[in-house]
Amino acid sequence: MTNGLMVDFVLDTMKEFGTIEQIRSNRIRISTTPDKVHDAIKRSRELLKCDRLITISAADNGRTLELIYHLTGPHRTVISLVIELPRDVPETPTMSDILPAGIYERQIHDLFGIFFKGNPNLEKIILNEDWPDNEYPLRKDWKPDPGKFYGGIKEERI
Amino acid sequence: MPEVIIPIGPHHPALKEPVNFKVIADGEKIVRLELDISYNHRGIEKAAEQRDFIRVLPLLERVCGICSHSHSTAFAKGIEEIMQLEIPPRAQYIRTIVAELERMHSHLLWLGVAAHEIGFNTLFMWIWRDREAVQDTLEEMSGNRVHYGMNEIGGVRRDLTPEQVNAALVRLPHLEERIKKYVDMVNNQETLLIRFKGIGKLSKEEVLKYGAVGPTARASGVDYDIRSDDPYLAYKEAPWKVVTDTHGDVYGRTIVRIGELEESLKIVRYCLEHLPEGPIRVTVPKIAPKGEIFSRYEAPRGELAHFIRTNGTDKVERIDIRTPTLANWTSVAMCLVNQNLADIPVIVAAIDPCLSCTSRITVMNDYDRKASSITMDELRRQSRARFQRAERL
Repeated sequence: MTNGLMVDFVLDTMKEFGTIEQIRSNRIRISTTPDKVHDAIKRSRELLKCDRLITISAADNGRTLELIYHLTGPHRTVISLVIELPRDVPETPTMSDILPAGIYERQIHDLFGIFFKGNPNLEKIILNEDWPDNEYPLRKDWKPDPGKFYGGIKEERI
Repeated sequence: MPEVIIPIGPHHPALKEPVNFKVIADGEKIVRLELDISYNHRGIEKAAEQRDFIRVLPLLERVCGICSHSHSTAFAKGIEEIMQLEIPPRAQYIRTIVAELERMHSHLLWLGVAAHEIGFNTLFMWIWRDREAVQDTLEEMSGNRVHYGMNEIGGVRRDLTPEQVNAALVRLPHLEERIKKYVDMVNNQETLLIRFKGIGKLSKEEVLKYGAVGPTARASGVDYDIRSDDPYLAYKEAPWKVVTDTHGDVYGRTIVRIGELEESLKIVRYCLEHLPEGPIRVTVPKIAPKGEIFSRYEAPRGELAHFIRTNGTDKVERIDIRTPTLANWTSVAMCLVNQNLADIPVIVAAIDPCLSCTSRITVMNDYDRKASSITMDELRRQSRARFQRAERL
């Protein structure tokens, strides 16, 4: 095992992007905003040597939609960058230009309806192609609409 | 030659679950690949939000039929960390034993499938026969061959008796000998070398750029392995090392998986011989405090990540599962470019996708709009014909 990142070093490098806390010996959480996140990820790739995107997690906390970018690198410390997006216009710049994020962004777009500005191929990947538009099943307030058709084989009822 | 679009899937006997590829090919060369993985979306993440922890565990175990123990362990260790529970060492060791046996059965399964994909069916039969020894051990320990049901929040559900430990230890020497035989075959068998070497190459930079994980990444010299990066269970105590290789092709991935078989066997033997005495579980509170955890686990196919958020009740607020295969798709799409059509089965199989695939391929000519079909048997036949040509060389 290699030595983890020093939290002081991260504090120093990333302090302009938001609040930084160490939640476990090898986990650092940075809360930032959608307009700064692209620069923050760029900075962590360059200065914190984060060469790996583990995943982008999405969550609905009731008020806002959250995106959490989990990055790691040779130091093996996981840096989690958290951003919150308003529910009415959930938009954020894509990371597909600097990270292998395309597949995760498509998945989150399907399930949460978050729009990634600049992603060249934001098409359905995880939901079936005949799934209706504007239905985002992992949002907390989502309920299936009995009047809508969610794909599959139409049953003929007599 | 005009470019043609070849849809593969969603059903394919070579893989286990449905996926659809649109392969854009120019003659025999692959130009691009598009992917549709929607066929198996079952809404498990949504369903997990409605159930309490006791009922979530069996549900998550059914995310996958091959790495079932991975999902339940990743979730259990996450929730245990939020609850700040100390899991008894015996339970940790039993979890490790099942986890490593699972890795062995998964890698043996993969080796067999890879041999079958290139038409080397004798090797496929041998490997799957030897895999039965691992499956028998798992069945003896848990009563099940697929969903072991060993985990619960706070420990494991079944203890190991001295007889079970002995029966497992007795099987290991034979397995060890067989694995040695396969190491020898992969390094010296001409037919395997011809079909594996130089196929589906990914450089170290490409692996990092496309975010590949597990044996696919380690075969290109990227030594990420969660068992050593973020140690959990008994991996700190057991003697083992991260297996890497520098070939970066299907051959390298085979070397890594065979190397991991040897390491797994060492871990299983160590844990069986040093099984600590004591209880196998602790009593757990019904509810978990409000919290958030990012639980990482090295599944047979690579890093598995569970992002868990609890809200102070007996249910999770959110569980986000990132499976290793999802991370590997981007790299597959890239390493198929400029390869031969007949190598699709072995390259796709080389990441050991945990999704399924194709019985019929439609070859569609974009220019005259004429469609014809190739069955999977035809593709296999072509693949085998290449193997026979290779053998004659």
